[in-house]
Amino acid sequence: MALLELRDVHAGYGSGPDILTGITLDVDEGATTCVIGPNGAGKSTMLKAIVGLVRVRSGEVRLDGQRLNDLRPDQILDRGVCFVPTDRSLFPEMSVRENLVMAGYSIDDKALLGSRIDEVLEMFPVLAERRSERARTLSGGQQQMATLARAWIVRPRVLMVDEPSMGLAPQVTEQVFDVIRGFRETGMTVLLVEQNARKGLECSQWGCVLDLGAKRFDGPADSILANPEIHELYLGRQANGNGSASDG
Amino acid sequence: MDVLQIAILGILLGGVYALMATGLTMLYGVMRVINLAHAAFMIVGAYIAFVLFRDFGIDPLLSMVVTGPALFVVGVLLYQLLFKRIADNPRFTEMTVLLTFGLALAIEGILGSIFSNIYHSTEPSYATGTIDLGSVFIPTGQLYGFIASLVLLAALWAFLYYTRPGYAIRATMQDRAAAQIVGVNVDRISALAFGIGVGLAGVAGSLLSYLFTFFPGSHLQWIGLLLALIVVGGLGSLAGAFVGAIGLSLIAAFAIDQLGPEWSYLTFYVLLFVILLVRPQGLFGKAETI
Ligand SMILES: Nc1ncnc2c1ncn2[C@@H]1O[C@H](COP(=O)(O)OP(=O)(O)OP(=O)(O)O)[C@@H](O)[C@H]1O
Ligand SMILES: [Mg+2]
Repeated sequence: MALLELRDVHAGYGSGPDILTGITLDVDEGATTCVIGPNGAGKSTMLKAIVGLVRVRSGEVRLDGQRLNDLRPDQILDRGVCFVPTDRSLFPEMSVRENLVMAGYSIDDKALLGSRIDEVLEMFPVLAERRSERARTLSGGQQQMATLARAWIVRPRVLMVDEPSMGLAPQVTEQVFDVIRGFRETGMTVLLVEQNARKGLECSQWGCVLDLGAKRFDGPADSILANPEIHELYLGRQANGNGSASDG
Repeated sequence: MDVLQIAILGILLGGVYALMATGLTMLYGVMRVINLAHAAFMIVGAYIAFVLFRDFGIDPLLSMVVTGPALFVVGVLLYQLLFKRIADNPRFTEMTVLLTFGLALAIEGILGSIFSNIYHSTEPSYATGTIDLGSVFIPTGQLYGFIASLVLLAALWAFLYYTRPGYAIRATMQDRAAAQIVGVNVDRISALAFGIGVGLAGVAGSLLSYLFTFFPGSHLQWIGLLLALIVVGGLGSLAGAFVGAIGLSLIAAFAIDQLGPEWSYLTFYVLLFVILLVRPQGLFGKAETI
């Protein structure tokens, strides 16, 4: 049984139409699953539906066989699903350190939280350096590091990251993916949404293509990378910016 | 009048204005609610203080232990019964403007039926006292009001910066979705923030009861003044509300001295207009939030 399961999930915003039109997906424990797909496919909506930020209208989201639908976002976080949105969602007027304290809002044990904050400050020296500065003064890469540090404080069972490379220089993107790889190596399950499909799939074991609110394909990441049809449809037009749409 | 004297009067009143404005800007910050009933709740607090003073001889400063908690409960109920239900509506902020204005008028009507539309105030002994410092004097009542306001605001500040629910309120004010993502139950935090915001209106009412005269309809002039303060400070900014209140009150004190008493309210609107022309997001607001 997969750790996180989506079964025919329908979801949308307010009273608008369904954006997710019946997604079924299995996310295996301890692996990284990368979701790719064109703009507006519903990738972010899917992650928001999983954590309860968007209401699931029908179908089921399950963690370890237990239903998550209708739980509040804080309750879903308590079950061990942590979401890092594309905009990074730091608290702009709080210091880096306060942001880390806020990250541990769901941790009641003060000593544990303190030691985890110390740990991430050691892991991310750049955050330690700027710990008393306001989060809004950080660069994009530093902000992404701060949100990943926040996730590490929570130690979720499933970490969902929405387009971590958004707006980052290639070199910084590389560092961000290294951190995510490091998380996975500790046994954390990662669900990754990535515009840079090649990069995302290369760092994943499983891949999934979403289009028009439903899953089109899924399979081992390397077979998706090698699949000429998917290449043509979803990878070719954004292949790393070097335009190599037709290698085979 | 002496410049120092005018400054003293302006600052003392400014502290009280800051207390009044803080609850208002807090509700906007947490939920994007423009609570036009805020001043009506202050008047409710003032009437509670008035009854306690008239019938039981309770000092208006002491009455804060009643007006604060009573209005806190009102704030929580208001959130649970009214705002929570419409929170998902895309026109939420517009709806709250109409709803809270209706609420303010309803409160005015109810107060009017109980107390009649004549001016009231509480008259503790210090309300008219002064402390003579040679060339200047300090009105005792305003000094007490100022000190009480500062103590309450300091307590609020400590709560927001040093407690877990305080962190959660600030986080929710800065980014509601992000707060949910780190595990804040924003529903409960909003109820708490509503309680605190309206509770602050209640304690401000206790001060208002002896610093000013009031009648059921006086909330209208107050809400205009308070909106000016928080818009100048930057909607949703607590520091902005404080600086805006002291600053505008100081300027108003000088304007009244130079131009006459009708400027006591006019100053606020003129300054609001001028500041928004120069800096549409207010003094402390971020450009994108307005
Ligand atoms: N808050 C919202 N309210 C209403 N509709 C929304 C909202 N957010 C997204 N949508 C709509 O949902 C659809 C899917 O959006 P979503 O953000 O999930 O796509 P995505 O796959 O993440 O795209 P991208 O690659 O651009 O991030 C789009 O048509 C979008 O217009
Ligand atoms: Mg997206």
